[in-house]
Amino acid sequence: MKIIKEIYDYRQMIFSLVRKDLRGRYKGSVLGFLWTFINPLLQMVVYSIVFSTIMRVVDVDKYYIFLFVALIPWIFFSASVTGGSSSILASKDMVTKIYFPREVLPIAYVTSCFVNMLLCFIVIFAVLLISGVGLNFAALCYLPAVMIVEYILALGVALISSAVTVYFRDLEHILGIVMMAWMYFTPVMYSETMIPEAFQTLFHFNPMCHIITAYRDILYYKTRPDMSTLLWAGILGIVFLVIGFVVFNKLKKRFAESL
Amino acid sequence: MNNETVISVKDVHKSFKLYYDKGYSLKEMILFQSRRRYEQHNVLNGISFDVKRGEAIGLIGHNGCGKSTMLKLLTRIMYPDSGTIDIKGRVSSLIELGAGFHPDMSGRENIYTNAAIFGLTKKEIDERIRTIIDFSEIEEFIDNPVRTYSSGMYMRLAFSVAINVDAEILLIDEILGVGDVSFQTKCFNRLQEIKSKGTTIVIVSHSLGQIEQICDRSIWIHDGLIKEEGKPKLIHMDYCDFMLQKRQDKEAAAEVIKADNKSSPENPANASSEPASEENAPAAEKRWGNRNAQITAVTVTDADNIVRKVFKTGSDIFITIDFTVKEPIRDAVFGIGIFNRAGVQCYGTNTRLDMLEDFDITKDGRTVIQLKNVSLLPAEYLIDIAIESGNGIPVDYYREACTIEMVSTERDVGIARISHEWKLPND
Repeated sequence: MKIIKEIYDYRQMIFSLVRKDLRGRYKGSVLGFLWTFINPLLQMVVYSIVFSTIMRVVDVDKYYIFLFVALIPWIFFSASVTGGSSSILASKDMVTKIYFPREVLPIAYVTSCFVNMLLCFIVIFAVLLISGVGLNFAALCYLPAVMIVEYILALGVALISSAVTVYFRDLEHILGIVMMAWMYFTPVMYSETMIPEAFQTLFHFNPMCHIITAYRDILYYKTRPDMSTLLWAGILGIVFLVIGFVVFNKLKKRFAESL
Repeated sequence: MNNETVISVKDVHKSFKLYYDKGYSLKEMILFQSRRRYEQHNVLNGISFDVKRGEAIGLIGHNGCGKSTMLKLLTRIMYPDSGTIDIKGRVSSLIELGAGFHPDMSGRENIYTNAAIFGLTKKEIDERIRTIIDFSEIEEFIDNPVRTYSSGMYMRLAFSVAINVDAEILLIDEILGVGDVSFQTKCFNRLQEIKSKGTTIVIVSHSLGQIEQICDRSIWIHDGLIKEEGKPKLIHMDYCDFMLQKRQDKEAAAEVIKADNKSSPENPANASSEPASEENAPAAEKRWGNRNAQITAVTVTDADNIVRKVFKTGSDIFITIDFTVKEPIRDAVFGIGIFNRAGVQCYGTNTRLDMLEDFDITKDGRTVIQLKNVSLLPAEYLIDIAIESGNGIPVDYYREACTIEMVSTERDVGIARISHEWKLPND
C-alpha cells in the first residue's frame, strides 16, 4: 500500500513522462502527430482488403468497422506490453542514478499508449459516423469501464514484462511472437462466435477476449456489453495487476546493478 | 529541532558480482552457466550509523572504499544484501544532476520534468519556479531548448532544481565543482542556509575542506567498514596521516624495486667505464668539477634511518653523502642547495657558511647533513650536492643529486612554512 501512495506522490513525474513520450514520439517526422491516426487507418485498410476480398471467412456487414473497433484497443494492449518491456532499459540513465519508484516507468509508458488510444477513438467515432453505423449513447456509457479494465490488464502485464526484461533480455524478442499468437487467439479479426466449442473454456481465461468483445458490442453492435464476462475480465485484470506489482517489487531492488 | 534520528543504518552489507563476461540472453544463461565466472567483491562489510535531524555528515575514504556505494544505498538506487536502512522524510540527491533533462525541451519545461523526478507536484513546482530560475542565473535563456545551453548553464540549472527541492534529507556526491567560482560560493552558501533550516545533509567528497566547513561529523570508511567517526578536523588528521603512510610505503616499495634493478646490471659496467670516461660522463651538464674527489652516493633517510622520498612538512631529513678521494683536498667545503621545479632556490648552505672550516679530506668517507624540522611546503624538490676546495674550485658539483617530495595535511601556501600565531581582536 505504501507503494501506491508513493506512486501517487510521483504523479507529476508520470504526467511529464507521458507528455515527453507523446511529444517526442513523432518528433522530426513530416506528418508528426498525424501518424497516431494514419498508422491504424492504414492497418485497417490492409486487413480489411485481405479479409473481405481474399480470405472471406468472416461474414459480417462492413467488415472494416468490425475490425477497426477491435484493432485499436488491441494495438494499445500489444504496444503496452511489448514497448513496456523495454521501458526500464530505455531509462537506464535515470534508474542507475536517481531514486524514484521504478513502477513509474511502466505506468507512464502504458498511460502514454492509453492516451494514444483515446486519440485514436476520435478516428473511430468519425469512421462510425461517416460509414453510417452511428453511435448509441446508452451503450457508449459502458465504454470507460471497458477501457479501465483493459488499462488495468495492460499495466499488470507490462509491469511483469518490464521487470523481467531487465534480467532476461530475450524477453523483448520473445514477446513479439507471444503477442502475435495472443492476437490470433483473441477475436480481433474474427468474431467470438467462430470459436469452436472445444476451445470456449480456453478463451474464457483470456481476458482480452472479453474486452475486445465488449468494445465490439458497444461500438459495432451498439448494444450494452455482457457485464458478467466484463466483470470476469476485470477480475483477471486485477489478478494480473497484483501479480505485476508483487513481481516488480521483488525484482526492482537489483535494477541498478543489472543495467 | 529535536534529536530525532532520521537516517538509521544498521549492519549493512553489500557485495557485487563482477562478471568477467556477463550474458543476459537465454542462450548465454543456459549454455554457458559454468563459463560465467565472476568475482565476489565485498564493498560494504557491516556499516552502522545514525544521523539525527539537522545533522550534516561527511563520508570520506580512499577511492573504492565503498563510500559512494553507501550513498547509493541511502538514495535507494540500490538495496543492501543484508542489514537495514531506515530513512524518514523526502530525500533529494545531488548525485546525478540533470537526470531526465530532455535536450529539445526548454529550460522551463525541463525544470518541471526534473523536479517531478524528485517527487514534486505541479503546484509545488509552481511555487518554486521563480526561486529556481533566479538561482540558476539563466533567466534570459530559460525558454530556449536545453541543447543550446553551455555545459555550465546546464549544470547550473540542474543544480538549482536539485537544491531548491526543499528535501528533508540532502545527499551530495562530489558536486561542488559546478560552474565558476562565484556560483560555487553561492551553492556553498545555499548549502549552509539549507543546513541551518534543519535539513539533514550527507556528503561524499574528497574535498576535506568542504566537509570541515559544512559537516558536524565525519565518517571514515575503509575497506567497507567504519574506521573512525567524529569531529571532521580530528578524523581528517588521522585520515591524512593514514594516507600519507600508505603513500610512503608505496614509494618505499618502488624504491626497493628500482634499487634492485640498478645494482645488478649497472655496477659492473660503471666500474669498467669510469676511468676512461672522465670527461664525457653521462649527464655531463649536471655534474662538473675537477673530480679530485667524487660523490658516489647520495641517500635520503628519515630519523629512523629508513630510505624515503616522501616527507611530511616539519620532519627531519638526513642526507648522506658518500665520496671517494683521488687526491687530498685541502680546506674542503660540502654544500647543499634545494630547488623547486620552477628552479627557485628554496634553501642553500655549505660548511664554510656554517663556520666549519679548515678540514681536509684525504680518504674515502661519508658526510651526513641533518636537515631539522624541514618546513618546505608540499611539492617536489631537487637537491644539489657539491664538494669544493678551499679556493672555490668545484671538485664535484652534482646537480639534482636527489629529489624529495614534501606532503602536508595543512593547506597553507607558499614555499616554506613560517611558524606563526594569530592574535585576534577580542570584541
